[in-house]
This record gives sequence, C-alpha cells and structure tokens, in this order.
Amino acid sequence: MLDRSPYGISGRAWIPLFAALVVLFSSAPGYGQTPARPAAQVPRMPDGKPNFSGLWQAMGTAYWDIRDHNAQAGPFFQLGATGAEPAGEGIVEGGEIPYTPAAAAQQKENLKNRMKLDPEIKCYMPGIPRANYMAFPFQVIQSQRDIAFAYEYATSNRVVNMGKFKEGAVDTWMGTSNGKWEGDTLVIDVSGLNGNSWYDRSGNFQTDNTHIVEHFTLADADHINYEATIEDKTIYTRPWKISTVLYRHKEKNAQLNEFKCVEFAEDLIYGDLEKKK
Amino acid sequence: MRKPFSMLGILAAAFVLTATAWGQPAPSAPKSSPPKNWVQPKTPWGEPDIQGTWTSDDCIGTPLNRPTNFGDRLYYTEQEITDRLNRLKTQHENDLKETVAEDQRVGTGPPGHWGERARRPCTQTSLVIDPPNGRTPDMLPEAKLRPAPEGAGNNNPKADTPNDFSYYIRCITRGVPGSIFPVIYGNGQQIVQGKGMVSVMEEMVHEARIIPTDGRPHAPSNVRSYMGDSRGHWEGNTLVVETTNFIGNRTGIVGNGGGTPTSADMKTIERFTRIGPDEMKYQITIDDPKTYVKPFTVGFPLTLEPGYQNFEYACHEGNYAMFDSLSGARAVEKRAAANKK
Repeated sequence: MLDRSPYGISGRAWIPLFAALVVLFSSAPGYGQTPARPAAQVPRMPDGKPNFSGLWQAMGTAYWDIRDHNAQAGPFFQLGATGAEPAGEGIVEGGEIPYTPAAAAQQKENLKNRMKLDPEIKCYMPGIPRANYMAFPFQVIQSQRDIAFAYEYATSNRVVNMGKFKEGAVDTWMGTSNGKWEGDTLVIDVSGLNGNSWYDRSGNFQTDNTHIVEHFTLADADHINYEATIEDKTIYTRPWKISTVLYRHKEKNAQLNEFKCVEFAEDLIYGDLEKKK
Repeated sequence: MRKPFSMLGILAAAFVLTATAWGQPAPSAPKSSPPKNWVQPKTPWGEPDIQGTWTSDDCIGTPLNRPTNFGDRLYYTEQEITDRLNRLKTQHENDLKETVAEDQRVGTGPPGHWGERARRPCTQTSLVIDPPNGRTPDMLPEAKLRPAPEGAGNNNPKADTPNDFSYYIRCITRGVPGSIFPVIYGNGQQIVQGKGMVSVMEEMVHEARIIPTDGRPHAPSNVRSYMGDSRGHWEGNTLVVETTNFIGNRTGIVGNGGGTPTSADMKTIERFTRIGPDEMKYQITIDDPKTYVKPFTVGFPLTLEPGYQNFEYACHEGNYAMFDSLSGARAVEKRAAANKK
C-alpha cells in the first residue's frame, strides 16, 4: 500500500517538488540577495550581457496614478465607462511618495488643474520614468555599445550612453541617460531633467533637481523587473522607489507604431486662438 | 547714444562665441578617398557596423534641383570647390567676430550659433543625382492640384487654425525624406543597431525610425503613418531600406518636408553605405506614381564629426511660433473690425 500524504503526494514525490521550490525561491530576484545559481534563461548579447532588445510594455494602471487608487469616473461623462479610471495597486514602494508639505500641496493643485497642466494631455514628451509605464509600448534596440529606447507615445526617445559618463549639455524633457552594467542588471543614471514632467495623470511631479537611477533586470526572456530610485531634496523628504514589471509583446505582428499626438492636442492647446467659424 | 554693454551681455556674448567656435572648427577641403587599409567594421553578430551620430551638414545650402547652367554636371570642378571653400572660410571668420562695424546692418533673427555650417564644401551641384540633369522629374497634373500647407516661407499665412501651417511648423514631422535632407540645423542621424534591427534617431522633430532587418514582411497596408513602414536588408555593406504605408498628402520633398505633398502610394528605397571611418554615402530613390512622372534619386554624404551630438528637439513643447502666429492674426482681425465701426 502506498504511503499517502494528506496532499495526495507520495512521500518520495516530495523530494523533487521540494527541490523545485528551493530552485524557484533561490532564483527569485529581489530582497537584495544575489541568486545562488544562474537566473532563468535570458537572451544574451555575444559578449554575454543580457539582451533587452524587443518591444515592451507595462501592464497595470500606474499611468493613472503610481500610488494605490480606486476606480473612479473620468473628467468627461461623454466618454462613459471608456473614460473612467480603473483601480490599481501602486508601484511606489511603501505606498506613499515622501513629499514635503509644500510639494504635497502642489501635487493636489496639479491634479485639480490636470486638464490644463498634464504634459501627457498636451502631447509633450513624457520624461523618465513615466515613459516606461504608459499605456504604450516601447522598443529597445541594444547594440554592443549604446542602447536606444524608442517610445511609441509622442515619438519620444532616448539613447543610453554606455561609454564614459557624459553630463547633459542642457536640461531636457527626456533627460540625459548614462548606463552601466552591475552584473546582469542594466543601471541607468538619469539626470538633466527639465522638471516639467509628471509621473502619472494624478499630478505627481518632479523638478529640475530630480535625479533618477533605473534598474532593468531580465527576470526571464519575456519579463523585465523595472525599478527606479528617485531623489530630489527640494520636494521629497527622502529617496523613494518605484518598481513594476515590463512585459514583452509576443504577438506575431507586433511592432512599434506611430503615435504623433500633436494634431490630437492642437485644438485643446490653441483652441482659444483659432478663428471662430 | 549707445548704451554700454552690461556685464551680463558680455558674458552671454562670450558664451555664444565659445559655443560657436568650439562647435564648428575651421572649414577644410572635401574628404579624400578613405585610407586604403580601411575595412568596414562589423557588429559582434556579423552585420556591417554603421553606428554613430551622422550629419548631413556638409551639403547645407546645396540646392535640391541643379541650376540649369550646370547641365548634366553633378560635381563642381576643383576651382569651383576651392572658391566654395574660401567662401566657407570667410563665413567662419565672420562667425567668430565679436562685434560688427557700427555702420553694418544687424538682423533680428535668431543668434548665429543656432545654425550649423558645412565643415567642408559640398562637391555636388545638386542633391538630385538622377536623372542626369539633377532635377526632380515633372509632376503629374493631378499632383499639381494637391494643396501644399502654408509654411515658414510665407510672410502672410492665413493662420486661422494650426491646420493652415505645414506639418513641420506644427512640429508633427518633416516626413520621409524630409527628416534627413540637410537644412540649417538639426541634421543629426544617430544610428544604433541591434541584431536584426536598425534604429535611426533623427534629430529635428525627434523622429525614431525603427527598421527591422530580419526579413519580416511590411505592416498591413491598412496601417499607415507619416514616417511610413520601413524594412531593411543588407546588400554587401549597404543597408537598403524600403519604406511604404505612408498616409499620403502630408509632407513633400522640398526642405523640411515642404512643397507639394507626396501620395500614399510613394515607395522609397534608401541606401546607407559607409565608405570610410567617418563618411557614409546616402541615397534615396523616390518612386511616387501618383506625383512624379518617373522615379528619381537624391544623394549626399553623411559624416561623423568629433563632438557632434543630437540635441533633444522639443519642438511642439516650445512652439511659441504657433501661439504668436495665431494670436497675431486674431489681433489683426480685431483691429480691422474696430476700424470698420
């Protein structure tokens, strides 16, 4: 008679299952420890570096609000359910953005005036990190040196300099990206941001003092663990972190499309200056 | 009486001059043939490596269509090239001057350092290299009726709405081929290659062209865009890019995508051939059966220049020209209405 465990698994069958669990947990990224064994199979460049090339996109609703949020009506009843904001778990570690009191007030003011101020509504470049988790894909083209990021939204893009650290000559919407490898993690230092970008549609904002360090780590061939540490003494009381997952587009015919949104925003931006019919 | 310069003004002027002098070295003679021992570098995965930030600056000012007095002659003579080099040198010296003579007219245009200058004379008499007369073929009668949006060259635009302006002035796009043709600035083309994929980041209006070279078919013909759908392949060391799926009736082939718009049936074939450590031959054949009586080819060199980089071209984000043009036009109307009363 077979020795049955309460879970219907024979005694000896526990051994491989236990081994599988050990492997699973020891190779799980996060918690700061280095995996004891090589991570899952990831695509690699000829020199052995992980290869991030591909078409990626975040799921979830961080593009509405990077903090926890409930489902709620959108600003225009005409759009009905399609204009409403879905609920979502935040991507801010610890839940709250450590704003100074003045900055917290500014965020509320931003949200109140979102239709006038949100750069996304006006088709302005989204900045970093917002570009990475919008409701649009982005394409990574990884060479043996630099790495290009082409974002579908507003044809915004950046080329990550993987050579000697270069300071940006001027402040820009997309900032200046300098990358380096820390093991299998691509670490991108983003500085030279012009301070006009938001993090989401909820008025969460940055300034031209904001400094961001992004971490891209392939969890497996089709998932990137994305983290960004954000520092700005002028509006945050301490550095804070966001983390989310980026998914590879696997559709046979998926490709980066063109979303030149200027013409969709012109009547909004210039409407009061247009000749009345 | 003239006011003395403020200290701030002097500092600003010094910065501008430093930037200009630093950014633009003295002009030199055209590049000679590349070193004999030069071989096309390859990427680690074995494709020709054409990466870097290239610029079409050297043919700034070269006309698209060849002046008829040159006939079928594509290249300038040595004497003509020397003359052009001397003109560039004079221009460069003028750029470096700190002051202008008291009796000289001074314009109110943008500061000189906004613009780029050719670093060496363009050897071509026109950008069109085929047909042999260096001129774009005749337009079909139907194309001549296609309205071209008003552009920067028009001193009296209608300015009722943004739709009255060109796609360039609206900061939407300069299209294909407009995003690579040499103009006064923003001519950078940063190429980054991955295995089976080439990206070209075009500086002005921040285009990102994604060119798969892995043999996949074009996007369905129902998916159309301003920049079209590009597919590339390698012929020896040449990157050949075929682009189709244009929306059509948006941008033309004159500078910055101006002129009579091309049609949705346009197909372009581009050829990028690196011919030396810092020089690339660029050619584009434009085949638009709804606009031109026959295909034609435009070509010019792209070069790598020390210290040259793309700057973020946040055009729409800073499009004060649109605000000012529209509000100016409304002010004129208001005044005219008031005068009638």
